[in-house]
Amino acid sequence: MNRMNGMPRTEMIQPDAWGRVRRGRYLADWALKAICVLFTALGAFVLGWILLMLLYEGISAMRPEIFVNTTPGPMTKGGGIANAIVGSLILTALGIVVATPIGVLAGTYLAEYGKDSKLAELIRFVNDILLAAPSILIGLFVYTLMVQPMGGYSGWAGGVALAIIAVPVIVRTTEDMLRIVPGSLREAGAALGAPMSTVIRKISWRSARAGMVTGVLLATARIAGETAPLLFTALNNNFWFRPDLMGGVANLPVMIYQYALSPYQNWRELAWAGALVITLSILALSVVARLLLRKDKVR
Amino acid sequence: MSTIAFSASSAVGKNAAASADVPVRIAVRNLNFHYGDFRSLKDISLDFYDRQVTALIGPSGCGKSTLLRTFNRIYSLYPEQRADGEILLDGQNVLSPSIDVNELRARVGMVFQKPTPFPMSIYDNIAFGIKLYERLPKSELDGRVEEALRKAALWDEAKDKLRQSGMSLSGGQQQRLCIARTIAQKPEVILLDEPTSALDPISTGKIEELIEQLRSEFTIVIVTHNMQQAARISQFTAFMYLGEVVEFGPTTKMFMNPSKKQTQDYITGRFG
Repeated sequence: MNRMNGMPRTEMIQPDAWGRVRRGRYLADWALKAICVLFTALGAFVLGWILLMLLYEGISAMRPEIFVNTTPGPMTKGGGIANAIVGSLILTALGIVVATPIGVLAGTYLAEYGKDSKLAELIRFVNDILLAAPSILIGLFVYTLMVQPMGGYSGWAGGVALAIIAVPVIVRTTEDMLRIVPGSLREAGAALGAPMSTVIRKISWRSARAGMVTGVLLATARIAGETAPLLFTALNNNFWFRPDLMGGVANLPVMIYQYALSPYQNWRELAWAGALVITLSILALSVVARLLLRKDKVR
Repeated sequence: MSTIAFSASSAVGKNAAASADVPVRIAVRNLNFHYGDFRSLKDISLDFYDRQVTALIGPSGCGKSTLLRTFNRIYSLYPEQRADGEILLDGQNVLSPSIDVNELRARVGMVFQKPTPFPMSIYDNIAFGIKLYERLPKSELDGRVEEALRKAALWDEAKDKLRQSGMSLSGGQQQRLCIARTIAQKPEVILLDEPTSALDPISTGKIEELIEQLRSEFTIVIVTHNMQQAARISQFTAFMYLGEVVEFGPTTKMFMNPSKKQTQDYITGRFG
């Protein structure tokens, strides 16, 4: 380009040079695509295998009476998982009822009040750590906090442990969804003389409603399958829950964990049935969450 | 400052420089504005006349929107922004800390560049602002909603779908909904921040007609990038540049015979 008229000297590229470049690039293109497809297939295969095996084993273990009978003791024939299903519903509901107000209000603080302040940054950092904390740690924490002082395992402790898992998920989704709400809407609300609390309740929450509900549903799906936090808190047993939820509450994840490793054929079958029930429930929750979000986007 | 004596709402401006017998509604005196360390309005002093349309024109970044946003103190949502000086509305300095901002904003309404319907029904969009300050029986509220929609020339298009989401309306209808929402509160002043720049020409025409009608009731301040629009709809025009008011006067004079060369250059499209 150092010639006076500014135009570079042109030279024909030799035909064989053309061919060589093209073949090499074509090969690289093809190879990368092949590797990506291969590993995607590998992942999908493993996932499909798990699901197919779960469906096969779960469906063959499905019998109407397992939804009525309680979990059997050792060397007992038959039995069911009714108490574990009801127990899981109770624990999950307890966890989500405790976690939702905390998570939604903390997320609202971060998005609407704290914004980029030091305190908000700190809370966000701690929340991220909590989000990634090993769930067994949370089980141990609640064990020392509640199980020891209360003198035994209880559904309350299980619910609190699950709530601690759910809170950071809800905080995160609530904040993310509120941040998507355009600032111009908040300004428009304020310009009508609405105090900040009204703007948040009537405008921000309303705009982000679908996303926030989705966050709560996903958190529900997440804690419905948690095992480790329940091992030290709600434990598991073969009976229906006591009205005061003391002395442990039967639940699906811990039941699966205990029964799947047992030497008894009927226990292992019940573990498969429980695994199928839990997977289908989580699937249903995720589908509802997606539908909610999509409906919101269309509108 | 010396020739224009500010008059409270009771009196009629005796010495109003530009127009002999129109009272001043908003008097801005020595207004300065800061975004953090940046001073974006420099010693602004300007009068806005009662039930007249005043257009603020000038190149991007000249401070016209900033000036508009001081009248209802909407800037105070952002802690790094501050204003000092005086903005007298009916004799009260709206910048004074003793003024309740929410009450101020109910008296000084604002419509934004992009339509901002709330995620609720058309009816609720309008009732939202009314309910903030008045407790009305249902029938009276219905009447107020209808009145506002009629004044905003939206009633015929919206009367059969009051329960539908405000977001289901077209862009131009949404903007008229926002105007309806603002006038439903019965403010005294309406601030319009480039209200038609996101709209097509037909919707723009409707909004301009609407502004012309609203002038009989409200004092209107409009920021616009569109010089023809300023010429069409306003009675007074202020030309701003780099945070200062270069020239202010009756719109006809500003466009036919501006006294400053800068104004002339901007209006004829030589810069900006």
